[in-house]
Amino acid sequence: MNLKRIVALAWKEWREIVRDRLFFALAFIVPTMLMLIFGFGLTLDVENLPFAVVDHDRTPASRDYAYRFISSRYFDFKGYADDERTIDRLLADNQVRVALVIPPRFDERLSRGEPAPVQVIIDGTFPMRAQTTQGYVAAINAAVSAENMAQALSTARGVPLAEARARVQPVKLEVRYLYNQSIKSIWSMAPKLIMLIMMLSPPFLTALGVVREKESGSIFNIYSSTVSPGEFLLGKLAPYVLISAANWFILWMLCLSVYQVPFKGDPLFFTLASLIYVVCTTGFGLVISMLVQTQVAAMIITSVVTIIPAVLYSGLLLPLSSLSPGASLIAHSLPPMYYGRIVTDCFLKGAGAAELWPDALVLAGYAVGLFAIGYLLFSKRPKS
Amino acid sequence: MTTETAIRVDGFTKRYGKRLAADGLTLEVKRGEIYGLVGADGAGKSSLMKAIAGVLSFDGGTVEVFGTRIDSARAAEQVKQRIGFLPQGLGLNLYPDLSIDENIDFFGRLRLVPADVLAERKRVLLGMTRLDAFRNRPMRQLSGGMKQKLGLVCTLIHEPDLVILDEPTTGVDPVSRRDFWAILGRLLEEKGVTALVSTAYLDEADRFHRVSLFHEGKVMGEGTPAELVAVVPGTLALFRAEPQADALPRLKARFPQTEAMGTWLRVFAEGLDATAARAEIDACLDQPAHPVGRTSVRHSLSDAPTCRTEVRPTEAPPIRLTDWFAREPELEDVFVAMLRQRGAKLESVFPEDGLTPHTSSAPAIEARELTRVFGDFRAADAVSFRVPQGEIFGLLGANGAGKTTVIKMLTGILKPSSGFGMVAGADMRTAGWAIKERIGYMSQAFSLYHDLSVVENIRLYAGIYGLDDKAARVRTDWVIGMAGLAGFENDAAGRLPMGLRQRLALGCALVHQPQVLFLDEPTSGVDPIGRRVFWDILFHLSRREGVAILVTTHYMGEAEHCDHLALMFAGKVVADASPEQMKQAVTAEAGQLLELRVDRPAPAQAALVAAGFASAVLHGRAVHLLSKTADADLARLPGVLDAAGVQLQSVQPRPLSMEDVFVHQVSALEAAQRGTP
Repeated sequence: MNLKRIVALAWKEWREIVRDRLFFALAFIVPTMLMLIFGFGLTLDVENLPFAVVDHDRTPASRDYAYRFISSRYFDFKGYADDERTIDRLLADNQVRVALVIPPRFDERLSRGEPAPVQVIIDGTFPMRAQTTQGYVAAINAAVSAENMAQALSTARGVPLAEARARVQPVKLEVRYLYNQSIKSIWSMAPKLIMLIMMLSPPFLTALGVVREKESGSIFNIYSSTVSPGEFLLGKLAPYVLISAANWFILWMLCLSVYQVPFKGDPLFFTLASLIYVVCTTGFGLVISMLVQTQVAAMIITSVVTIIPAVLYSGLLLPLSSLSPGASLIAHSLPPMYYGRIVTDCFLKGAGAAELWPDALVLAGYAVGLFAIGYLLFSKRPKS
Repeated sequence: MTTETAIRVDGFTKRYGKRLAADGLTLEVKRGEIYGLVGADGAGKSSLMKAIAGVLSFDGGTVEVFGTRIDSARAAEQVKQRIGFLPQGLGLNLYPDLSIDENIDFFGRLRLVPADVLAERKRVLLGMTRLDAFRNRPMRQLSGGMKQKLGLVCTLIHEPDLVILDEPTTGVDPVSRRDFWAILGRLLEEKGVTALVSTAYLDEADRFHRVSLFHEGKVMGEGTPAELVAVVPGTLALFRAEPQADALPRLKARFPQTEAMGTWLRVFAEGLDATAARAEIDACLDQPAHPVGRTSVRHSLSDAPTCRTEVRPTEAPPIRLTDWFAREPELEDVFVAMLRQRGAKLESVFPEDGLTPHTSSAPAIEARELTRVFGDFRAADAVSFRVPQGEIFGLLGANGAGKTTVIKMLTGILKPSSGFGMVAGADMRTAGWAIKERIGYMSQAFSLYHDLSVVENIRLYAGIYGLDDKAARVRTDWVIGMAGLAGFENDAAGRLPMGLRQRLALGCALVHQPQVLFLDEPTSGVDPIGRRVFWDILFHLSRREGVAILVTTHYMGEAEHCDHLALMFAGKVVADASPEQMKQAVTAEAGQLLELRVDRPAPAQAALVAAGFASAVLHGRAVHLLSKTADADLARLPGVLDAAGVQLQSVQPRPLSMEDVFVHQVSALEAAQRGTP
């Protein structure tokens, strides 16, 4: 190992990254941009659903019923529609996602104590959103029914309204959400985005950076010189690891400032684990770069190898416990899941080394393994 | 100079998958030699050079560098500090975003050259290569010649004992090429460095002390350039014969290596001295029909008539021979003869297509003040020329001189910034599809679909040009016959050898019988046989079918095939005449080319320049110079050399090559530019 050669390599690499517009953007702009775009665009909360009402009854009772929805923060009232045909058009145009149709004689049936059906039409193109919407509708409807019943009880039996309410709902749920008290999806999403972006950016940078030299032929400067493989890998990859580490820090700060996610864990452990993760994902890029000859191939393989594990097998969109046994096995054999757990638990659960050291250890094993494979695959005297 | 061996290669074999790239190569390079590997693309040069540099493993044979056997990565490491390797591709191994300074520093630090030594070497090398004025310019903004010189400096910065340079001159203009050879020669002489250099240009062979001729993974011959030329003895005859079209087939029947070069005929009379060659050629032309007397030498292929349709024994017109020159053959003639002896076929069969030739008195192509500006860069600057129907017109120039830009404007692909181009009588700025059907275009990349078969490629182009089914079938047969593709009809285009692929691309450009043909660098990377057959086809097209052909090339040797030439430099046409006129103009202006054989060429060249022979350049072990007053100079030369302690062995007049012409014209132009900034 000769430090001078490593420094010469790293210095050359650094200047190339800074001066090449594409690499500059990839290194310094894309990670932050991804964080902002995904953070604001990928919110899973279902709120402000646009909806319309067709009121065939037009009585105070029907207006009162509709008002319960209009005043909810989950719904965004777009107005009354004349008939169902109008509703069809509004749904087809994506102007509303939900519609209530209150039939004639709604008030009359209620006052007679008969069941009064109300039709709810929900846009089912997004199953998860549709189910959540149905839940909101059912909850509001249940509240309305309970209130009506309490009022009826109160007038019939002459008990005070408060007591009547308690009788109608003998068991009352008291829900408290732990770790993410207001169940804001961004609180759980933003930390996982660090996992996702740090799974994408370092491998892309590294794979393209190495393969670029193979494609242009400048790799022969390395092959034909007395630089050892270890010196080359250290000098070549050091700038990428450093840049990625800086990016990780920026993303962390973005989570805290822009998305206001609380950080409850141990910053020192989190930093250490994150650096291991960055080295590990850089190793992915290194191994890919040893296997392909062109930048196009490097892009395609890197996309497949990084995006799929980071999105599907990391707990980003689906909870890990809901994966099938096969999928769970895949998830456990890839690094994003482990760092996903580290980042979520550090942010929201306040966990530290005591709870998460096995995950950090797995990542370290990965990093060592990938670099070992990259080192073995690198030959200064290849077959072609 | 010691006689110790620097490189010893024995039975070197290299495969890439199923393809055999090098097949039992053997050669030996002595210390202090400039050793040349000469051959076309895919001949195995790069594989061997990489193996010697220790950056490629191989399948068979042994490679020894400075006594170390390169049989493992570990063994290769032992000699790498003593080797400098410049891979193929102009400037591709350099870092485009780094400046000249930074590039050199990187190479120096990688090789652990101490800072003070590095600074000193850098100063000397940059001075010698005249790059010192551009030290802070990013490499991507350098011209081809500058990139090449920077590559050389970076390769030499750790003062290796052996430099391996893979095609350092490909795609560089002749002036920069000459400059490069001069610098390389001087550096190697001063430091006693051994050099292994490859080139695709056969006419560069005499830059080397010794040469190996490569062809399809084999060494065809080894020795000094003079020894190689002597392998196949014979005479090169240059003359005119009227009518040329009748003389050509008769000569070809007897001398397979007969070529038409504009109005000239060029015949390599194998095994004959000048007198015998003249006698045979005369006999050939006097005879009403073939075959003529076969006396001293029999050729395996000369028995077959080459152009069956053109033999008319009954109505033989008298053929008049004029302007006779006989001289020793060039290496390329000898190389082609060697390949023929090994069974390579040189003839092209040109199927008659029963069409009346295109005739027109109006120029087929006319460029008038064509200008194209990209930002503040003038890629083409007021380019004007005319090409009559039935003429082969050559556009010469280095990479980046503006040749491709001009072709693109003439074919209507690119809009001119000002001026205009007329093709087949139509203004290409406004020409519709109908006029484009009269144009054929073959690009540098051979515009073929590599995964389609030969027939599918031809049918595709027939479809693009709207040929009906019957016409498409007729033309497909014609193309297959013309390109010699019979038997390859169903092979994927990508798997064809380079020469065949090139002729298929030409066939595709000709499928709709255009009257004007544009060819952009059609012969890059093709071996000499492939190039000859290709030019033969072009000649037939222009003479028999009256097709006007505009061709660009950076092989200066090929320029002699053209009827008319335009020399481009930095976007401008700097000369516009026939090859013969150009040579005459240079001779009139600068004098006769003399070749001096001396015992120590480098000091001889320096002494000659100092004594006022500004044109003196190193040419392998010889020095070339232009002399206006040959008699007076011949008297002066021994004195000048004697004063420098150099012994003059011989002086011989040499014919000017197109490269000499180009170098002279451009040097004069550059000098003029410096004079009036």
